[in-house]
Amino acid sequence: MKIVRRIGILLGILALCGCSNTVTRVSIPVKVESEIDITRYSNFAVLPFVSEKQVERNEKLPPEVGEEIASVLRRGLARQKHFEVVSTQETARLLTGETVEEDWLSDTKHLSQLGEYFEVKAVIIGSFRFYSDSRPRRYYGERYSVRRQRYVLDYQDYMQKTYLLSLRVMIVDVETEQIVWDESYRRSTAEAHTIGSFIFSQVGPQANTIRELGRRAVAEFTRQISPHYESEDRYLVN
Amino acid sequence: MITVLRYGQLASIAILLCWMLSGCAIISRDVTRTEAYNRFAIKAAEAQLWNEAVFRWKQVISIDPEDSKAHNNLGVAYEALGNIDEAIASYQRAAELKPNNKYYRLNYRRCRIHLRRSGGNDEEALQLDEPPLTE
Repeated sequence: MKIVRRIGILLGILALCGCSNTVTRVSIPVKVESEIDITRYSNFAVLPFVSEKQVERNEKLPPEVGEEIASVLRRGLARQKHFEVVSTQETARLLTGETVEEDWLSDTKHLSQLGEYFEVKAVIIGSFRFYSDSRPRRYYGERYSVRRQRYVLDYQDYMQKTYLLSLRVMIVDVETEQIVWDESYRRSTAEAHTIGSFIFSQVGPQANTIRELGRRAVAEFTRQISPHYESEDRYLVN
Repeated sequence: MITVLRYGQLASIAILLCWMLSGCAIISRDVTRTEAYNRFAIKAAEAQLWNEAVFRWKQVISIDPEDSKAHNNLGVAYEALGNIDEAIASYQRAAELKPNNKYYRLNYRRCRIHLRRSGGNDEEALQLDEPPLTE
């Protein structure tokens, strides 16, 4: 009798297993269109980015940082088949004698005139803010105590220095003098310092950090305005 | 006489059983075939061979047009190939056949959101609920 019951339970379990659906998750490529009208805005002039001067906490930076960010953006856009960009050399040549100032950002008429001079449909300009924020932190971990013959809780104090870059990017339509894109991109990175290395970091060069953060912010902007593929999960049912 | 009767009964039961089993075998042959196609197509999809997967799922649908799994999976394959209109039609069919399946609803919703993001006119996409994947 027991055997019959066991067989019955086993058959029941097997039947239930057979009824259930298993699911396979697959990644599929989905095309994400540009957030701007790429048929209209197909060629750009990228002007050097300007450092925001009103911000008190802005770090002291070499003046060529804005041009470096613009140069990274030009390279990123030039790689996209939908866009044409005025080269860095050509931009420098056409801007000879001019210095891009912060008040240019609000002067769309002037930017539009520059765009006509560059013979482009849109002008990309922007500003950046770079600052650091340091806070004491405590790291809790375990260390082996020889005296107690076991691991004990221990902590270590350190300084966490966070670098923040806020990059504002604008696209100005040359024909209509309208701002068609105005977005800010914030990127940050953190370092852990002892007292010695913290003092050194305060006086040391930060150009590489801002370059890296700028590259990441610019990549995000380029991705938004270019058609691209992203992976998305879908479910296949067995 | 009793022995003959008993054998006669046994023989009729045996014939009946054989007839039932053969019927089951015919049905199960189709089920096994569609399951095999489905499994193969999923393997192909995992290897990103979407055209092969589409071919197999179409075969499943030609055998059993009411197979909701095949319609859903075909929708995924169409979406991967960029045929969004056909993908939506397949997801809709799967959801019609099994309206309570959370995976069909999830795929359908995501496809419509993607359609909306890529400039298609699908205002209702965001109003569809995202079904929870955990019970």
